[in-house]
Amino acid sequence: MEFFSDALLAAIQLIIAMDPEVTEIVVFSVGVSLAASLIAAATGIPAGIAMAINTFPGKKTLQHLLNTLMAMPTVVIGLLLYGLLSRVGPLGDWGLLYTPTAIIIAQSILIFPIMMNLTVSAVNSADPRLFSTLRSLGARPANFAWHVARTTRLAILAGVVTGFGRAIGEVGAAMMLGGNIEGYTRTMTTAIALETSKGEFELALALGLVLLVLAFVLNFMLSWLNRNV
Amino acid sequence: MAEPKRMSAYTLKNIHHQPGEGFSLQIDQLSVAAGQLTALLGDNGAGKSTLMKLLALLEKPQTGEIKFLGASLRYDAAQRRQIGYVDQYPYMLPGSVEDNIRLAMKLQRAPKNQHHDQLQVIAQTLQISHLLNQDARTLSGGELKRVAIARAISYQPSILLLDEPFANLDTSQVNALELTLRQLSESGTTIIFSSHDRLRAQALTSHHINLVHGRTTRMPLLNVFSGNYHAPIFDTGQLAIHAVSEQSSASHIAIDPNEIIVSRQALTGSSLQNSFNGQLVQIAQEAQAIRLTIACGETFQAVISQQAFDALQLQLGETVCISFKATAVTLF
Repeated sequence: MEFFSDALLAAIQLIIAMDPEVTEIVVFSVGVSLAASLIAAATGIPAGIAMAINTFPGKKTLQHLLNTLMAMPTVVIGLLLYGLLSRVGPLGDWGLLYTPTAIIIAQSILIFPIMMNLTVSAVNSADPRLFSTLRSLGARPANFAWHVARTTRLAILAGVVTGFGRAIGEVGAAMMLGGNIEGYTRTMTTAIALETSKGEFELALALGLVLLVLAFVLNFMLSWLNRNV
Repeated sequence: MAEPKRMSAYTLKNIHHQPGEGFSLQIDQLSVAAGQLTALLGDNGAGKSTLMKLLALLEKPQTGEIKFLGASLRYDAAQRRQIGYVDQYPYMLPGSVEDNIRLAMKLQRAPKNQHHDQLQVIAQTLQISHLLNQDARTLSGGELKRVAIARAISYQPSILLLDEPFANLDTSQVNALELTLRQLSESGTTIIFSSHDRLRAQALTSHHINLVHGRTTRMPLLNVFSGNYHAPIFDTGQLAIHAVSEQSSASHIAIDPNEIIVSRQALTGSSLQNSFNGQLVQIAQEAQAIRLTIACGETFQAVISQQAFDALQLQLGETVCISFKATAVTLF
């Protein structure tokens, strides 16, 4: 028990003292996941809106596919991308393996279905009169989509926050594609995994605490968004 | 002098549309003249809103053809631009009342330099000037209707469709709205509004479309009964009514209230095949006439002149006789 309480105390001290190593890892992690969230939002939100407001053959199948992809294990994405990006893989020439870019790509792919699917539900749960009103006011497709997005923005934002939460908390893809290189591709989750196995419990615990606080803040944002949708 | 022949705003042919389980709209032939005020009448569930949505190009009929100002429907923004549609329960986008009206003008590509003036004129017409800065989602029922109408006419559509515009409005709001509709109609806008209130609609216009169970009828919507027809008798379950028709599959009849003769005693030696005794249960003054409600198995409405009413000296609860010709009965 003493071991745990000592480690916890040391971890809190690391956070309060803004230990450079902790800070660097946190900033890197947040940066990578924010970049991934931006990419996934920029593609997933328009795709979700387009899917929700249009009817087309195969829409139900696509919905099932999205539901499946939302629950995709991160190591599977790590595995697939590793195969693509490794030196002998088809995209090996790009030299992306074990770079922050590789982590960003992996996390974007991981959370794209989440953002797209939650955008679809956000639009589907909007008042149906929104669509008939916009249509009767003569909105052309681009304007139509824009105003649908604007009206359902809080629910869509809730999807973005959920996606960011998933990206920052995942460990499989970041480990396999980033390689956990100190000062280069070390994220909070990969650091926690490594430091724990090294027996450096304080650093792992400090990062874990930061991750917990982040999760708390994200959840708080989500519940606020859901209340105000 | 004969009225000049008007262009048709809409021509519907062989329309069949079933938006959900059970109910279906079936219109063989219907044309709505442009440039006038037309009332779409029917009880709740008769298909008024469904027909309105077809006319507003918000839904496509499953079969049949609709022509709009003589052209086939393309369901594109350009055609919708000519139509202003106000839902029975209007929806406001986030933002103020002014935002909503300006958005409509923007979406409909009204010339930008006219937006401001147009907004002021419309706000004045519909008496919503004081609401322009208010959050559009906090409006009361009557305000919401007026703002929705303002939004729909802001881009000066040539056709205005209003679904139950008078529902949930108080008397002064109804009067103000009637005035607005008259003014718009006089300025050349084609207006079609739906209502379940036949009297109000009749006061506003003499052009009607009657809908009963998803079908159009020429008859006013009074004295509509359902039952079975075995020529020459239509059996409502309560009464056997003489009717003349070649149509053997009819399941409804309607009797024009103006064709019903009300007397104290049964008329003898007349050509009126239908004659029933009943109790006078309601007397109402309507426009220039008196409307009587008589219960004789089925409840009939008859319209008689003020003079006839005075001569008969009728009292509520009295037994009276109603008579009408078999040819006054329309089957459908």
